Amino acid sequence: MLAILRDLLKYNLEFRIGIILVGIVIGLAGLSFFSPYPPTDVYVVAPDVPPSAEYWFGTTSRGQDVFWQLTVAIRNTLLFGLTVAVISRVLSLVIGLLSGYKGGWIDRALMAVNDTFIVIPLFPLLVLFYFVLRDSMSWLLLAVIMAALGWAYDARLIRSVAMSLKTREFTQTAVFSGMTTREILAREHLPYVMPIVFSTTMNNMNWSIGLEVTLSVLGFTDINTPTIGGMIYWANQHTAMVAGVWWWIAFPVAVVIMAFVGLFLLAVSMNEYIDPRSRLSRMGGGAR
Amino acid sequence: MSGPVALKQPMTPVASAAASTEPVLQVRDVQAHFRTHHFGVSRDVRAVDGVTFDVRRNEIYGLAGESSSGKTTLIKTIAGAIKPPLEVVGGSIRFSFLPDYPGLHAAPPEVLERVRWRHLSYVMQGSMNVLNPMRRVIDTFRDFAWRHIGGSRRAFEERVADHVSRVRLDPAVLRAYPHELSGGMRQRVTIALATICKPEFIIADEPTTALDVIVQKDVLGMIRGIQREMGSSVLFVTHDMGVHAHLTDRLGIMYGGRLVEEAPTPEVFARPLHPYTTYLIGSLPRIGDDTPRKSLEGSPPNLADPPPGCRFHPRCPLAMDICSRQVPPMVETLPGHRVACHAVNPGAAA
Amino acid sequence: MSGDLLRLDHVSKTFTRGGFFTSRKVEAVKDLSFAIRQDRPEIFTIIGESGSGKSTTARMILGVERPTAGALTFNGLDVGALRTREDRMRFMHAVQPIFQNPFEAFNPLKRLDRYLLLTARRFGGATDEAGAERLADEALRKVGLSLAEVKGRFPHELSGGQLQRVAIARALVSSPKLIVADEPVSMVDASLRMAIVTLFKALRDDLGISIIYITHDLATAYSISDRIIIMQKGAVVEAGEARAVLAAPQHPYSRQLREAVLTPDATPAFSA
Repeated sequence: MLAILRDLLKYNLEFRIGIILVGIVIGLAGLSFFSPYPPTDVYVVAPDVPPSAEYWFGTTSRGQDVFWQLTVAIRNTLLFGLTVAVISRVLSLVIGLLSGYKGGWIDRALMAVNDTFIVIPLFPLLVLFYFVLRDSMSWLLLAVIMAALGWAYDARLIRSVAMSLKTREFTQTAVFSGMTTREILAREHLPYVMPIVFSTTMNNMNWSIGLEVTLSVLGFTDINTPTIGGMIYWANQHTAMVAGVWWWIAFPVAVVIMAFVGLFLLAVSMNEYIDPRSRLSRMGGGAR
Repeated sequence: MSGPVALKQPMTPVASAAASTEPVLQVRDVQAHFRTHHFGVSRDVRAVDGVTFDVRRNEIYGLAGESSSGKTTLIKTIAGAIKPPLEVVGGSIRFSFLPDYPGLHAAPPEVLERVRWRHLSYVMQGSMNVLNPMRRVIDTFRDFAWRHIGGSRRAFEERVADHVSRVRLDPAVLRAYPHELSGGMRQRVTIALATICKPEFIIADEPTTALDVIVQKDVLGMIRGIQREMGSSVLFVTHDMGVHAHLTDRLGIMYGGRLVEEAPTPEVFARPLHPYTTYLIGSLPRIGDDTPRKSLEGSPPNLADPPPGCRFHPRCPLAMDICSRQVPPMVETLPGHRVACHAVNPGAAA
Repeated sequence: MSGDLLRLDHVSKTFTRGGFFTSRKVEAVKDLSFAIRQDRPEIFTIIGESGSGKSTTARMILGVERPTAGALTFNGLDVGALRTREDRMRFMHAVQPIFQNPFEAFNPLKRLDRYLLLTARRFGGATDEAGAERLADEALRKVGLSLAEVKGRFPHELSGGQLQRVAIARALVSSPKLIVADEPVSMVDASLRMAIVTLFKALRDDLGISIIYITHDLATAYSISDRIIIMQKGAVVEAGEARAVLAAPQHPYSRQLREAVLTPDATPAFSA
């Protein structure tokens, strides 16, 4: 694992840039634990102070330090994206691999569910959830709902790879070596879908963070938990742009873009490394 | 051409006149390597390592070889299909119609465009790659060949229909889409496509390997017929020795990225000199023949780390001390019969 | 009936292609019958070109595909009706496959010995690592290799011929009664081909394993088969003792096939 990191750092520019960007963002999130102010408290500092030596990113109209507020917000946003990605990846892996390998009625049943999720209009549904649940809508619940809505497309992608893996001869060798279905999926097929899982993890995080920001900006989430979207929501509530408090919006947006780009670059470079073909070529088997 | 082949093939007057001129293709000491760099692991696979041969006018030159013999790489190099990690490291590949460039890979695209189809064409294994699945067969002909032939559209289509019937296809296939044709028909379409401009040189890379044997026999007969009719040269690559025995005029045997033997085909089969060739021919099973076959021990050389000297020496029954030290030179041991082997040509390596 | 190792009784397989309204039936195998006896191991060859149904037949015998009509029994058990994992494991213990492409037969990302050791544990009765290694080594020695040569190696490090031997050794680890070999040498170099084909003979004579050898190559079929059937478009056109059939084929298709074989020492077909 360490050797992989070393190789990637040494030979891949995208990885280097990606790791720096994501490193900065994660570092920011880590700083939240040292915040001098409780994150949900307001009017702890003088409002509307522009960026200065004392308040690096300025302060908000609600009397919060933008820098420390931002550390908490990005931590929650990243955690949110990660939760959605992990839950939905597990769902899409299990369903995609099983559906593609088993075929028959299992495939038909799973894909019927799958296609239902693909065609459901996402945004109205999320807004509906907000109106039904209102105050009991926590960020964790929102993450679970989004994960439940975000696996379907990638499950189809994984299924198509699994279907072609099923027809390859080594799958039959595995069957006739006495492997169980679970072993075949986990040991024989999983390495071939890992590139998809990796790139879709990053994409899925970007998607869920983007959607969360959108929902928050519109006020359709639990606005009391500080997130990037939540910060922009409050900034809009106080007409920050009109009032000239540009730092209240600019810094959260800059950080979230850094996270987006960093994750994307990591996905791209990791993908190249983990791809079975490139792996084979490194092992010396690609020239055949 | 040497005796037995010439006797067997009465050549057309045009062709015999042309046969006296220089070879259509001269391959000189070509070296092509695969160079890869992957996360710190650098590899140099010497897939083609110093190959020299000529293809004459009006002949079918066969190239035979097994896995990791380098024949696929050699044919890619000759066809100019050099894509990284493949690199031409040395040598030259000179076509008589393209004397100014040491190979197709060195020629600019507009020059290639001019010679392609008119002077040079390909028949590859996967016929689907050439035929656009979204277009009718006649449209593919129009895309590739109309420019070179010219004339009215009607005259062109008549000529195509005429040509297609020569490969024993119903001209109705021209109105079909590629997926509507069987594998054998598609392969015949690609052969028709490769020959319609009457090119001087055709590169055929395993063109019949994917076909069933009955269809294969038909297609091979057609390739020979068309070649004879047009007096063109064919470089025919296949691993199937049976096909070589029946189709090619001269045959080069490759092993480990080098040519090890070259002679008129009947001579290769009747009097193989290189120990590898002897095994290759002796190991072929024949119906009605029950003598036990000797198989070659060991495995083909790893071209990333080939054995020194003669690349066959670890598997060779005649291996001597010198074989592991010195690369045997290609020597014309008998008239028209070249062999690279220390045991066959003692003292050749001076 | 009880003396038959494998018995196919009027077996047919029909695939349905296309959608709801345009579905059409493709008969891959039509009314195929033959039997292999328990007490007389043999190499039974199925010859055919693409689309002849020979691979579908192999898949049905391996229990991967179920016949649409007729009965296919192994040791009196209906192969298509193996439901539980126990039943299928018992079946795979006795029937093992060898595939066409040796480079595809093992996961390119995994080490080769893994499959051998796993087969030894699941089918060979090995209870610990040492026992599994012993079984794997024994099987590899039967094909002219040894565990020391294979252990820790990846598929790309071996030649096609060696890989196909490893594939055969893996099948042997479970000491099967029947091996189904679907085009086992068509992707192997010609100079290594006969070594593998003659290995089948040794398995039959020394280990008493019956082999279903599926091929389009008449020459190798001639050199090892006891009985052959020739299939065309799903139906058997000719069947009988291998040498007799191949020396003097009767059916027009078999004759055409026989004539299309390009033997290296006949007079060239396309030169005169």
